[in-house]
Amino acid sequence: MMHSLIQLSIVVLLLPLLSFVVLIFFNRRLPRMGDFVGVGLLGTAFSIALYIFWTVVVQHYDPAYRIAWDFTWLDFGNVPGVGPLVVKMGIVIDNLTAIMLAMVTLISLLVHLYSTGYMHGDPRYGRFFAFLGIFTFSMLGIVLSDNLFSIYMFWELVGLSSYLLIGFYFEKDSAADAQKKAFLTNRVGDIGMWLGILILYSQFHTFGYREIFENIAAGKFTLSNGWLTAAGILLFFGCVGKSAQFPLHVWLPDAMEGPTPVSALIHAATMVAAGVYFVGRIFVILTPDALHYIAFIGAVTAFMSATIAITQHDIKRVLAYSTVSQLGYMVMGLGVGAYSAALFHLLTHAFFKACLFLGSGAIIHAMHHEQDMRWMGGLRKQMPWTFATFSIATLALAGLPLTSGFMSKDAILAGALGFASVEGGGIYYIIPVLGFASAMMTAFYMGRQVWLVFFGESRTHLKPAEEHHGDHGHDAHGHDDHGHDDHGGSHHGVHEVGWIMRAPLVVLATLSVFFVFSPDPLDGAKGWFMHLVPTPATVVKSAGAQHEAALGVTGGKLLAEAATDTVKPEAGEHAQAAEGHGAASEGHGPVFTDPRQAELAHAMHANHYTAIYLSSGMLVLGIGFALVVYAFGVIDPGKTAQAIRPLYLYSFNKWYWDEIYDATLIKGSMLISKMLAWFDSNIVDGIVNGIATIFRKFAFLNGNIDKYVVDGTVNFTAFFVQTSGAVMRKIQTGKVQTYLVMVTAAVLGYFAFYLVQLMK
Amino acid sequence: MEMFTSIGLNHFLTISAILFSFGMFAVMTRKNAIVILMGVELILNAANINFLTFSKYNGGMTGVMFSLFVIVLAAAEAAVALAIVINIFKTFKTVDVSRVDTMKE
Repeated sequence: MMHSLIQLSIVVLLLPLLSFVVLIFFNRRLPRMGDFVGVGLLGTAFSIALYIFWTVVVQHYDPAYRIAWDFTWLDFGNVPGVGPLVVKMGIVIDNLTAIMLAMVTLISLLVHLYSTGYMHGDPRYGRFFAFLGIFTFSMLGIVLSDNLFSIYMFWELVGLSSYLLIGFYFEKDSAADAQKKAFLTNRVGDIGMWLGILILYSQFHTFGYREIFENIAAGKFTLSNGWLTAAGILLFFGCVGKSAQFPLHVWLPDAMEGPTPVSALIHAATMVAAGVYFVGRIFVILTPDALHYIAFIGAVTAFMSATIAITQHDIKRVLAYSTVSQLGYMVMGLGVGAYSAALFHLLTHAFFKACLFLGSGAIIHAMHHEQDMRWMGGLRKQMPWTFATFSIATLALAGLPLTSGFMSKDAILAGALGFASVEGGGIYYIIPVLGFASAMMTAFYMGRQVWLVFFGESRTHLKPAEEHHGDHGHDAHGHDDHGHDDHGGSHHGVHEVGWIMRAPLVVLATLSVFFVFSPDPLDGAKGWFMHLVPTPATVVKSAGAQHEAALGVTGGKLLAEAATDTVKPEAGEHAQAAEGHGAASEGHGPVFTDPRQAELAHAMHANHYTAIYLSSGMLVLGIGFALVVYAFGVIDPGKTAQAIRPLYLYSFNKWYWDEIYDATLIKGSMLISKMLAWFDSNIVDGIVNGIATIFRKFAFLNGNIDKYVVDGTVNFTAFFVQTSGAVMRKIQTGKVQTYLVMVTAAVLGYFAFYLVQLMK
Repeated sequence: MEMFTSIGLNHFLTISAILFSFGMFAVMTRKNAIVILMGVELILNAANINFLTFSKYNGGMTGVMFSLFVIVLAAAEAAVALAIVINIFKTFKTVDVSRVDTMKE
């Protein structure tokens, strides 16, 4: 018997799919192109998801809560050379799933609502909602999956919907290029992910998370630890692609070619977070080596994107790089073992970044599709609602105390500091240093953005008249120009957007404030999220730590006991844990049998206040610097850019990654392709043509034999018969007398012969 | 002279051969169908002389009987051949055998 929550979650999963099916086939026959179908079904899905959230999170409030259901989907029996091959499909609902379910459906619903205003009048209006539907379906599939196989399927579906939505304005070359770039870049990561899945499958003959974890904990992984590290890093490649981490980050900024609601839903709040979510799911099998790798990738991503975001002019591009940077934070958080903090940041970031993107969409909409911040300014008077919500979200992103972003980001930075001290300093301090530097730059570029957009005087008249959309260089910015041609020159009639676009902003801005997540604005660890999604005990035996029992089971039991002890967490209890972190087992956090994890948890608590002070300092520094530059004009940004021109260009051109890839990978693969084409057209075709020539020659020879020898024989026979006939014909005159003469001659001849014989 | 006074077998055979040769010459060289028929008669009579000669010197009646048959046959042959010649003349308005060559084409 299926648990009722499982049944409900299946309904939640299928409602967006229904929306997709209805809208993709019937959107032209429905009134308003069927947008009410999408909004209505998503609203229903959100209500059910909210009920699941309420039941799981609020009523049970149990960190160990987990219900699961699966069924055998495909049974291939005993495949020769592979072993038993059974593919199961299933659903698991734990706290993280319930939270993600509510978050995804909520943001999707808000984006649906917002799009009814933003996309109004688009010729493919109905199709847009259909695509949003299939995206939401795939994303919920990722969230609900209980095994690697089905998550991989939904992973690809998400990639497909992303592809469709980035290229929604496929008439534009830049959008079509961006969608291809996104899809191909993601494929690179996905191949690594699939290889990782295969490594695990080859060992355990199962795709299920639970089975894999239990098998590893029971020591059934027969290969060396290096292989486990490799499996972890390969699985992480999926996240590198989908969450736009360092080597594969190039697609996300270009993905801003999609309509702005899409950027908010997919390329900021949900899909790109799927990578982080996935790494969270497989967190327990990651070895310390794999975690170090992940931490460095995350830190580098966070820092690099923050430096790029400083110099971009396009409002959406700044936000895109900020997203990459924040995703880097989450990945870094996972890498340093701050599991709950990273996933907490995923949740808080989803709300405030969706708010920022929807706000930028409102600005773009109101500015008649102007996206360049240099020609904005002074919008706070015309768009007070957008200004207020955008500012709240900006502060959350920058990490101002009293916002949600502050709590989650500080938890990650505390984890990074703790990690560096546990690992013994040295090179590992690069990670927190990069983290804090990114925090400062985040504050700076967000301050710059808010100031350029909302403060000062309108600069629309400064825009060069000849400069049009798409003229900003080859990396043409995403313009949602559909039907509006009244841009350029001055922007009269900038006005606040309608309530249907304003409401989602208000909801999301509200969800960016601290009290939603934690009663204590300074400490997210006191909130419900970090209580309900504790760091799971690792199943990997770290060096020197031998576990006798199957850790997944014992760890879970201990965890459940710890949770029942502290089911109503008291602030005092936690303070004790923070002070005397040597006795963390009595405190708030989960109990780790793995010494490394325990050490990391203690170090994170120990560094909690250090992180707060440091990051607040960074925030003040960053915002203060932004004010100094842009508000008070003490430093002229243009002159500064000239003074440090190489650095400025390096940042403005996004560290030249596109150029580097263009010069190496793309040129390289083009070169290989050309070589292969040459090989194909010269060698392979040459062989084929050579064989053809030989056969042709042979055929000619054969033909000649036929023509001259065979036909010659036949013709010669005919000729001989003809000539001899012509000779003989002369004898045969038809006159009896002639014949008689001959007969007589013959007889006389005979007699003469006989006579001569006789004479002898 | 012995040769002229006593007429023997060789004389008859020589006459016969000369007659045959004349007949043969007529058959081979003449174009008139009737002359050819006359040549045929000469050949037949040369044969008759041979039959009678050998019959006389052989002492039997066989040769005589044979020559009687030949004479009857020659009469019949002449009748049929002349009928054919008349028909040829009716058809081709000539009895020149070299011009009766329709079948050659």
